[in-house]
Amino acid sequence: MDAILQILVTGLTLGSMYALASVGLALTYGTMGMFNMAHGLFMTIGAYVCYSAFIVFGMPLSFAVLIGIAAGGVVGMAMHLLIVKFMLHRADFQTTIMVATAGVAILLQDLILKQYGAYPFKQPAQIEGQLTVASVVVTYQSIAIMTFAAALIGLMAWLLTNTRFGLAIRATAMNQDAAELMGVKTEQTYLQVLLIAGVLAAAAGILISSLASLSPDMGTNPLIRAFVICVVAGLGSVTGAGITAIVLGVMEAAIGYYIGVRFGFPTMLGLVILVLIFKPAGLFGKQGVVRA
Amino acid sequence: MTDISMKSGTSRRSFLQTAGLSTVGGAAVLTGTNTAAQAQSGEPIVIGGPIQMTGGGAADGIEFKRGLEMAAEEINAAGGILGRPVEIVVADTESGGDDKITSAGQRLIDRDNASALITGYNFGSQIALQNVAADASVVYMHADTARAHTALVGSDPEKYWQSFMYCPSEVYYGFAYLNYIKTLEDSGQFIPVNKKIAIVTGPIQYSINIANSIQEEAAKYGYEISLYETVEAPTNDWGPTLAKLREDEPGFIVVTHFFPGDQAQFMKQFLTNPTNSLVYLQYGASLAAFRDIAGDASKDVLYATNIGVLSGDIGADFTARYLAKYGDKASPNGGAQTYEALHMFAQAAALAGGVGEAYDDGQNKKVADRLRNLIYRGPTGAIRFDKQTQQAFSYPVQTNDPSLGMSHIFSQIAKKEENGKIISPVPYSVAEFRKPHWIKA
Repeated sequence: MDAILQILVTGLTLGSMYALASVGLALTYGTMGMFNMAHGLFMTIGAYVCYSAFIVFGMPLSFAVLIGIAAGGVVGMAMHLLIVKFMLHRADFQTTIMVATAGVAILLQDLILKQYGAYPFKQPAQIEGQLTVASVVVTYQSIAIMTFAAALIGLMAWLLTNTRFGLAIRATAMNQDAAELMGVKTEQTYLQVLLIAGVLAAAAGILISSLASLSPDMGTNPLIRAFVICVVAGLGSVTGAGITAIVLGVMEAAIGYYIGVRFGFPTMLGLVILVLIFKPAGLFGKQGVVRA
Repeated sequence: MTDISMKSGTSRRSFLQTAGLSTVGGAAVLTGTNTAAQAQSGEPIVIGGPIQMTGGGAADGIEFKRGLEMAAEEINAAGGILGRPVEIVVADTESGGDDKITSAGQRLIDRDNASALITGYNFGSQIALQNVAADASVVYMHADTARAHTALVGSDPEKYWQSFMYCPSEVYYGFAYLNYIKTLEDSGQFIPVNKKIAIVTGPIQYSINIANSIQEEAAKYGYEISLYETVEAPTNDWGPTLAKLREDEPGFIVVTHFFPGDQAQFMKQFLTNPTNSLVYLQYGASLAAFRDIAGDASKDVLYATNIGVLSGDIGADFTARYLAKYGDKASPNGGAQTYEALHMFAQAAALAGGVGEAYDDGQNKKVADRLRNLIYRGPTGAIRFDKQTQQAFSYPVQTNDPSLGMSHIFSQIAKKEENGKIISPVPYSVAEFRKPHWIKA
């Protein structure tokens, strides 16, 4: 019983972080058909900005977290305004944007390396303390991660389903031309999508670094996992990505306990292969549509 | 007297007035040879550092670069190597595999004209740079702590005359660990709850070799292995591993997955509900980054390194100057490695009559011959090479004379603000072993 509880706590903590990391990626792909290779760097930037705001500039921690999250949105918007908008209408957009965003990722990572060095700094956004549930210790940090992730993802789901802004995003994802004919400013929608993706990624980066440390390449591992989750869920399925992230997080923890920690990630990769063979569009439907 | 030899004389006086003890052994010899010899040329000698400046090994990589730079400054202040200044060029191996490591080493030789390669450790198979160095006939010094080096060089010393590992291989971690806990028990300093050892290792061969050496030898010392777990890098959430440890409480926990950030998270999460186990974190806990991230959870952690800064005048002097130069977050244990390797190389090169260019095996072989026969005392102890394998001897496992081997030191952290205090072996121990505060049994 203790083991099952421990697996659930670990799995939900991991899954929450994976969910935050992957829903932004799914949203971007579902709306724009863009696989953002710089998504991992949005996470890194959020984590470093939060760190700097608190440690270097001495801001209150809650404000530093908000600044870090906002920084992800700003970088997302900047990428749209400086790069993406000029490539959107190219016939080979899906391919070229991957190369372009990979270039952005390398550039941003090198800039962070230049500025901060490679020393693994400690993320100050941490909550000390713990509680015991049926002899399993649950840290306040884990509870904060799960709560924060659920709140942000819930907010995004609400925005997508209950606001005109969300409707515009979904309409654009379904058919860009039809959306434009209905008066949707698709360029603006794309900008908003990258802003949201940046915000979610930055939040994920802060949470992930709170359980690890800061390093310029800290976004690489979560990006790979987010990609795996998006493929298994079905590229573009936001709700699917969230659910898949939680399921894979728990699965990874269970495999870690019952079989061995080293088999967790290879099993996820094996799952991707199976999904691509038997359900190429993913577990949650077809590509190209944002389904909240 | 040439300009350069005059400069050398001046440098020697000012150097001896200002430099610390840890440079005197190396740089004073160098100054002497510089004064006596005619300068070869004013051309700088490029020392290539294929170092992991990014990725999982970067915390150490930063220190390796600093160590090289600090040694180069001192060597140049003493007049360089026979009048030629030393210039450091670093290529990032990105904590990657053989592809990254090989290309970094090759780039240093072919693009930057490196005459020798000196580094701390890299990942990969740990036999990649030996082949690069053999093809280019340049001396290569590293602290990979790898049995793979010993096997490679020992199998073909004619080909690998230029490759030197200036520390013992990783298998000594296993032997030394079992020796040490047995001694703790026999002397009554520690009474374990049982004879079980839980081993947690990582994906890198180095970590696996250490874990295997403990696993293979444990029974001979009267211990049994209750868990052998391999984790991936990075590992942020240790929940499943800790659940297994708590289910079958071991007397000893050994973590050979040495990434300092991962080890720090292990300790933080372990201490939320600790078992009565003596926790040993191999190497990573010796770095400042570990204490920085783990904070109070670093207290009482036991760690070991077979190439760490020793107590005593030489080690203390180096530590003081290193921290003064690079700040409190710097790790002298890392920097000392490349620092002493470069000093040793410079001394050998000066005695051999200078450094050859790449692909000049005549002069570089003379440097290698000098290295093979030199005993060098740096901040981490005495470097003396086994002539067949060109691996440094280990004290006290291979030799009982601390002046003839690199000490395998055990340390325990007393405060998060300070490096651990050496608790073994004599004559370098400065503190007694303390039972960790989380052990209540």
